[in-house]
Amino acid sequence: MINDKKLIRINRPQLTRRKFLEISGVSGMGFLMGGCGTPAFEDIVGKLSEPLNQKVEELVFKPQKPVAEFSFSEIKPEELIVNSFRSTPIIDTAQYRLIIDGEVNNPLSLSMAEIQALPLTSMIIRHVCVEGWAAIVQWGGVRLQEIVALAQPKANVQYAYFKSADGYYESWDIASTLHPQTLLAYQKNGDPLPIENGAPLRLASPIKLGYKQSKWVTRITLVSYLSLFKGYWEDQGYEWFAGL
Amino acid sequence: MTSTVPPKTRNLPTQAIGAKIFHSCNVVSLSIMLTSGLQIYNANPVFGGREGLHIPSIFTLGGWLAGGRHWHFAAMWLFSLNLLWYGIYVLITRRWRHRFIGGNDLRALQKSQNSKRLIYAWHRIVYTAIIPILLLALLTGIGMYKPVQFSWVVDMFGSWQALRIVHFASVPMFIIFTIIHSLLGRKAGGSQLTESMFW
Repeated sequence: MINDKKLIRINRPQLTRRKFLEISGVSGMGFLMGGCGTPAFEDIVGKLSEPLNQKVEELVFKPQKPVAEFSFSEIKPEELIVNSFRSTPIIDTAQYRLIIDGEVNNPLSLSMAEIQALPLTSMIIRHVCVEGWAAIVQWGGVRLQEIVALAQPKANVQYAYFKSADGYYESWDIASTLHPQTLLAYQKNGDPLPIENGAPLRLASPIKLGYKQSKWVTRITLVSYLSLFKGYWEDQGYEWFAGL
Repeated sequence: MTSTVPPKTRNLPTQAIGAKIFHSCNVVSLSIMLTSGLQIYNANPVFGGREGLHIPSIFTLGGWLAGGRHWHFAAMWLFSLNLLWYGIYVLITRRWRHRFIGGNDLRALQKSQNSKRLIYAWHRIVYTAIIPILLLALLTGIGMYKPVQFSWVVDMFGSWQALRIVHFASVPMFIIFTIIHSLLGRKAGGSQLTESMFW
């Protein structure tokens, strides 16, 4: 009688529901945490969740509603950190041309003088970096929607590609491209744009993360499809829409 | 052989299945939120910027900034939807009336000599307090994720840096909570109570 319990249980598998959940829970956590510090599943996670996140981002985005701006006194110039992916290109402003091509009826090649003859728009916005820092900056330049309108895009245009003098490339959705505060800027904090901030011409916008805002822009191509190459950082894993 | 005397059964703690699911989802989603959040933090530490204090990579998830963000924004759904349905569940089952800190617990803290009762009271205070902490983490997170579409969140905290600090503060708060919560839980009901919260 004393050994009853032992006798009855001896040949039975001992994996009860509770034990099973315990083991699967512990090994599941180990599996998950094994990814710490290694880029194990980030791609899969990104591919699974990014389309959902983008849907929500597009849903909350108001294409033509201007973003609230700041006052000049709120600018702290030292807070804007310079990020470059390669090196600073040397551009002769006198020789510089901005090309607008792609699916347009009127391809353009504009000099800096021609761009600066267009109406100047100034805005004081929060520039938000993917790294987590942010800085309030004044940008002055031309609304991108005006240049796009000059090029007369075809009705099926959905995206804008931006090429930079240093090889950097980016692509934007057309709604964000045409936002009234998406500028091609040649001024920063009231002064001519410094070369390390993208002179002679850079993208500036309050509605996209910093890596979307290409410096040293030389070519804008308006297209109806997105190629395999979406952007320098996007092709390495950053999200594409990157809306704020 | 068959007639064994049933062993004396202790009254095992039981939990509602809804509470177990909520609890387990929280353990998984918050582990991911915390580790991937520290990965994002490392790109530009809240205190001191790039030269500031970095978190050792053993505690970070995602490998690099983009990976950390992917994990963070994916787990965000699990975490926030879990919190949302739990809120609804608490309301419709009327658990809020007797599961969280109440006047009787506060009275017990002042008068009771029963050490078990005191532990219960303290424990309820602790796990009731985590709810606003989690909601604050969510709110500040929304403010940083979409500072344009939800600019009122940023305005509420005054500045971007203040918003970052409050969001980051949820890390130590949550870690301290977890330690106290599991210690008090163990004191109140031993490992059986702890287990009953999961399966």
